[in-house]
Amino acid sequence: MNLQTEEFEIEVTGRGKRRLYRRRAGDEEVEKIIYADDGNIVVCPVEPVNMPKIGAAEHLMVELKKSVIFEPDTKNTFYVKFPIEVGVFTVDKKDVERIDIFTTVKAKYALYGPPESGIICRWWRSDVYAEEPEVNPLKEGVLRVDVENKYHEWVELQKVVFRAFDMKIFYNEHAYMHGMLTLLKKTTGETSFNTRKPKNMHGAIDIYAAKGIKKFDKKYFMEWGFK
Amino acid sequence: MNIVATIQETLDYEIAGIKVIEMIEFAVIFIIAVIIARIARMAVRRRFKEKLSPTTLNNMEKVVYYGIILIGFFIALPKGVSLGGLLMAGGIAGIVIGFASQTVVANLISGLFLIVERPVEIGDSIAVGDVSGVVKDIKVLSTTIRTWDGIYVRIPNEKVFNSNIYNYVAHGARRFEYTIGIRYSDDASKAIDIIKGILAEHPLVLKYPEPDVFVSELGESSVIIAVKIWAPSSHWYSVKKELLWKIKTILEENGIEIPFPQRVIWMAGGEKKEGRGKGKQR
Repeated sequence: MNLQTEEFEIEVTGRGKRRLYRRRAGDEEVEKIIYADDGNIVVCPVEPVNMPKIGAAEHLMVELKKSVIFEPDTKNTFYVKFPIEVGVFTVDKKDVERIDIFTTVKAKYALYGPPESGIICRWWRSDVYAEEPEVNPLKEGVLRVDVENKYHEWVELQKVVFRAFDMKIFYNEHAYMHGMLTLLKKTTGETSFNTRKPKNMHGAIDIYAAKGIKKFDKKYFMEWGFK
Repeated sequence: MNIVATIQETLDYEIAGIKVIEMIEFAVIFIIAVIIARIARMAVRRRFKEKLSPTTLNNMEKVVYYGIILIGFFIALPKGVSLGGLLMAGGIAGIVIGFASQTVVANLISGLFLIVERPVEIGDSIAVGDVSGVVKDIKVLSTTIRTWDGIYVRIPNEKVFNSNIYNYVAHGARRFEYTIGIRYSDDASKAIDIIKGILAEHPLVLKYPEPDVFVSELGESSVIIAVKIWAPSSHWYSVKKELLWKIKTILEENGIEIPFPQRVIWMAGGEKKEGRGKGKQR
């Protein structure tokens, strides 16, 4: 198997049980030996919170380049881009195991909330689009955000935070997520994901399922405002 | 036949109203319970190692381990032994031992408060009194810490509870700072821009709260620039180690140097000479 792009190269060589996995992205090179009777190698986008340090963050903060203001009691939709991280997995009938995760996008983290109780998020800044934007599929995915303003006042939005545990990524030519944001007050809201698979798209393997953690529907409560 | 009869007689022999055979049964069942408890504890660890936090996993292991041993104990208890009597005897013994060893009781109660209040958890980097390191276990009587240089330290819970506890990772982010001196002849604004650029490139230097870089002092030999950086608590130390030398190198690449201490000396005759505290200026 050989997957070569301008940004990275993945190669699996060898015969029989023993295979050599080799990946190059930028200056970084990874080699791993895989012993397997059967099973497939799957390459797909994963929740963008793993790089460069797994465990540093479990949330994604998308900062909007332009603020968006929502009228009371309305429903609206906009699109933003999100950073791509690529996961490589071995998959057989019984289990999924992560071989490698990498990205060709520069990572940055930010704190959402105060230092004593805030959370570390993978930070990303995006324009706001009325329709699905064109993306470089190796670097960016499309995140549709359905916003419902349940508050009786106008609410201004400069950033939105999603929990990686709730994410469900789909892909064809590019990666896609469908997030939802409910504005509850001027400074609080809830984010969640629509997990229904869109037509002509594949469901990506998620890193929590690969760890054997069962997922359940849950919402993330944005309690530290939208600015 | 005599041997069989002797064995039978020995097994039927009663000590404090309990037959020897019952005592052996008790010991065997209790040992089996301990073995099962250890296997169960290992199974819990294997099953939940990646899914639970170290503290929760540790508590779950203890509940499973001591629960099975307790069940085994009651199953193994000889029929002649009255449970009420045993509990009463245990209670009285507990009171006597409690009065006799107040420190142990104080440690026990402090341990329970530590488990409930949870100012520290297993895996946290902390400092208690003059000991600092990583928490390895929180037991009912003591807390064990592996110091930074790998030494095992057991601290009685009473001491932990009554001391100031510094938990370095309790919050998501923490700040650290450098002070960097540059020559008076260098452009401080340029140096600040360069440092800000380095910080912007580093993924683990937090975007928010933003790093703060400013001239904090006009020192004797240099203009002091303060660099205050927020980083995830879990990774701040690696960021701190990595960045200082990088800043120094890139500043020098841009012609900005970190001077040695200097002193201007005025000679009695009015002639001015410039001296340096240590060696040559870089």
